[in-house]
Amino acid sequence: MAQHKDDNGFDPETIVDHVTFFRLNAAGIQSVVRSETVWWSVLIELDGISIDQFVDRIRERDYDTFLIVPAAYDSDDRSVVLPFQPVTVFATTDLVQYLNDDRSDLGVATLRVGGIIDEMFLNPDAQSAPLSDIDVAAGTVVQAFVDDGMGIAHDLFRSGPTSSRVYFAQIFDAVPLPASPTSIGRTLERDDINALLTDCTYNGVLDEELFYTRSGQVNLAEDVFSTVANRASHGTHVMGLGAGHEMSGGVDDRPIICAALPSRVVKDTSGVDLLPLVYLSFHILVKQARRFRLPDGGLAPVVFNFSYGNLEGPHDGTGIYATMFERYFGPDAQACAEQPQKAWLTLPAGNANLSRLHAVNGRGLTDTRIKLDLVVLPDDTTPTHVQFWMPSSGPTNPPNFAKIKVRSPFGTSTISIKAQPGQAAEITNDNGARVAWLAYRYVGGTTQRGLVTLSITPTASVEEISDLAPAGIWTIKVRRRAPAGDDPIHIWVDRDDTLPGHGPGGRQAFFDNPDYVRFGPFGAPLPVDPPGTDCPVRRSTTISGFSCGPSPIVVAAYTEQEAVLSDYSAAGPLNPSPHMTPPPREGPDLAARGDDSWVLRGVYSAGSRSGSWVRGSGTSASAPQVARLAAGEIGTSTVDGRTWAQDAVRTHPFALEDSPSVERAGDGGIKLPDGGP
Amino acid sequence: MGIGREDALDALDALDALDALDALDALSGNDALGGGGGKSPLTTEALITNRDGIVGARMGDIQKPVIGAGNDVRNLSRLSRRVRGAVYQAELGPTVDITVNMDDPCLPVATVWRKIEDNGGATRKLCLEPMVTMTRPTVTQLSQQLKLVLGYARIRPDRGAEVLSQVGVPMAFFSSIQFMDQQRTPYTMELLMTALGFAFPVIQRVKYALAVKRPIEFSPQVQPMIPTPTHGSLPSGHSTEVFVMARVLWKLLMESGAPQYNDRALWGTMLMRQAARIATNRTVAGVHFPVDSVAGEQLGLTLAEHFYSMCCGGNWVSSTFDGPNFDATQDFDWHKLYDPDGDKQAETAETNGKVWATSKVRTDNKIDAAPALAWLWGKALAEWQDFGPCDCE
Repeated sequence: MAQHKDDNGFDPETIVDHVTFFRLNAAGIQSVVRSETVWWSVLIELDGISIDQFVDRIRERDYDTFLIVPAAYDSDDRSVVLPFQPVTVFATTDLVQYLNDDRSDLGVATLRVGGIIDEMFLNPDAQSAPLSDIDVAAGTVVQAFVDDGMGIAHDLFRSGPTSSRVYFAQIFDAVPLPASPTSIGRTLERDDINALLTDCTYNGVLDEELFYTRSGQVNLAEDVFSTVANRASHGTHVMGLGAGHEMSGGVDDRPIICAALPSRVVKDTSGVDLLPLVYLSFHILVKQARRFRLPDGGLAPVVFNFSYGNLEGPHDGTGIYATMFERYFGPDAQACAEQPQKAWLTLPAGNANLSRLHAVNGRGLTDTRIKLDLVVLPDDTTPTHVQFWMPSSGPTNPPNFAKIKVRSPFGTSTISIKAQPGQAAEITNDNGARVAWLAYRYVGGTTQRGLVTLSITPTASVEEISDLAPAGIWTIKVRRRAPAGDDPIHIWVDRDDTLPGHGPGGRQAFFDNPDYVRFGPFGAPLPVDPPGTDCPVRRSTTISGFSCGPSPIVVAAYTEQEAVLSDYSAAGPLNPSPHMTPPPREGPDLAARGDDSWVLRGVYSAGSRSGSWVRGSGTSASAPQVARLAAGEIGTSTVDGRTWAQDAVRTHPFALEDSPSVERAGDGGIKLPDGGP
Repeated sequence: MGIGREDALDALDALDALDALDALDALSGNDALGGGGGKSPLTTEALITNRDGIVGARMGDIQKPVIGAGNDVRNLSRLSRRVRGAVYQAELGPTVDITVNMDDPCLPVATVWRKIEDNGGATRKLCLEPMVTMTRPTVTQLSQQLKLVLGYARIRPDRGAEVLSQVGVPMAFFSSIQFMDQQRTPYTMELLMTALGFAFPVIQRVKYALAVKRPIEFSPQVQPMIPTPTHGSLPSGHSTEVFVMARVLWKLLMESGAPQYNDRALWGTMLMRQAARIATNRTVAGVHFPVDSVAGEQLGLTLAEHFYSMCCGGNWVSSTFDGPNFDATQDFDWHKLYDPDGDKQAETAETNGKVWATSKVRTDNKIDAAPALAWLWGKALAEWQDFGPCDCE
């Protein structure tokens, strides 16, 4: 192995996003990404220009055939100019490379590349269509879900055999229908779903295999796969907890709208980031939610649930997800709207409490130097990414807060950089291929922090590729420098796990420091960091990176029979920031049932097929239960979502015997009055 | 056609009717009482010494028994199940014949003929009517179907238990819909095993005629989760057999007159869904193309109708499956060939103007029910008939 530093034939300072740079340039996926037909979902943040102006600039540079702006952005969206406007687009590899070059001067402030989008799912000719109003009865509350594997035909989401409660479904992984008003996948309106239900019902029995084939969610011949083909699917389980009602009950005041995120693309071994499609999902569903009109002309309230989590920083309420959710659910969303609509969002706290994916330098540590043993597993076919978030600083001339050193397994190669603009280093293997990339960039906006990213290539591949990284313990040293003062440097490992049987086969890297105490004196896992520990690897601040903003209702999970917070339920506190004082939250707002007992993990909810029930565990399961309760009360509530959640804990208390801290359980446990679907 | 024990054949591991009948024998209790005389050397030795001890001097004239009733179904209940099974197969086997047309070696056509007996007694004159005509699909079509096989591999972890549990006779799966049990419905299970025992050699002969290669020979990436059977792929034996089972069971329920079974076609639909799932699971496992299940369904439904006519007389069905006309991009959809409401096979199934399956209810050339099979049907049917109206409610 050899180290090459600042000797790459380019200026690292010109790279807008280093993870994007790493993913697009990994030798192992060159054969995939170099194809002109490979399209990526990309989230760009436009800096003071409209979408139309951006498209004009792209056209001027002859890249317009490599760009699709989704039809979900209507003419109003395209003409508006905002200081910073996140927009999801689809772009080919060449254009993504161009966008990721700061010198391109396209008005793109930041960029995040998502996953590869199969060309068969794209419809570049789609045109935005006007959205008609849907008149609903007084008391109606819309429920919105962004998830994957959405069993929209399940009887819990129907009010009759061929009458769906799902009024809109965006299916990203589906071959578009002709004249479809969506640029990706398929949209199904309630009439479409009802027609499918009718077509697929024989002798009074719905053939759901056929339904999901015809809805486009499953097409095994074309490798179009959704977990609705399996017995259990995450989205169906979550939606069942949040909005499932007995079909015979005839519930008609809880219409559902949903977006089904794609399953991971098997051939995309560059690492998958769903951010662009999550952003697009919310953009689409927020518009859809505004179609529901009450008899008095007002907009029906809406409760969103998004049972996903990640560990992305900066965990201070200024991150890209927090910003997105504030845009749709914060106080400004109401103030800016032409007609206000009461909208709440429930999010899970995350399940990473015991996953050893977070470390900190600072916050009570006596030494200014920490050493982390990062275990990168063999047979990991996706990259490993680690984020190092520096203390907050001013918008210009960020101080050199730290020096970061990385050594490959067995000490064969070491690189280090300072936390300063332009700093980047790589580790190459004996073939001369880059296997690790360590780079610094400054994140502006309201975040105003330096970010160092460490990206490591996969350790395994079924292809003959040159840039496999060695599996084993990668040693990371982070040395704080004086300008950091007492402010902590936080380090998070990105989520990288893949369920067995699903592509592309990532394996989760984690910190394995010898002084991390995993178990208590009686052998049970320790759910909180031992008092006074000097170990930099921490359970604290493992709360999901999605759940750090001020407005969402964030839900932890408890185990009902033992009446304790579930060990995996992730915790705060947030990372302090002078730009967000006081911190928007200490941790989750409340805790709901995530497990029936230590033995009976998870809670029952809808399986993929009508009439079936499966167990699902985690804060993914606890959040939609709160969404269910919220849907029943948002219509009459006069306060914001989080305040309602505080009141709800008092109204429907569930006593937790382990007395978890505010950082783990917020205001405490809640017992749903009707027990769920 | 006859059938013997063929333990060496992999296929009989799955659906060996006679093995299953042996199992029924074991459960009859005879073995437990030593009724299987001759099987135990100890018992045999004991019987010899016992006779020596008690036989005494030869007795004088003894009253003769009544002569045996020839060809009389009353004998059947005194026979072991295995012996009855042989009688049933002796009745069923000769009712079909199979020929193969190899005019186009690339597209062999197998025909299952139904034998029509013109006159019985000491002399026989037979004529034949085509009952099932089956043309194999092209290799190009199978290559297209391979995409579906590879796609279905993604749900193997989800279906693993089902696939393994359905390698043999999937009685448990039908029993979970229709209340069958060895003690409760022994004749229904005997009826089913008889139908399967009849279907098995027909299936194998058609497979042998068409010689359709298995998915594993089309790609090294199929990697089936169970061993690939050595016989041909189309028609799927499992599909044929489970649709035989489902249709025979559905006919029993319909004839039972029990009100719940005749509520719309709910039971029939569920039985067919079960059959379709079992057939599809063979694709999930990586040992069948979806088109194999389509052909198997057509064969199974038609054989079930023939089996029923051998039990009860009446109409029969002739059908075709024309593989080259099947749209190879299509998955298996059982509804295209059958509607349990009215117990109807589709008269035609076509895609884009190409007819790939036909069926016709035949009211001509009927043959009488075989008395032994009619006896069995009656016994099985009685297991589903209510005892009579009750004024409890």
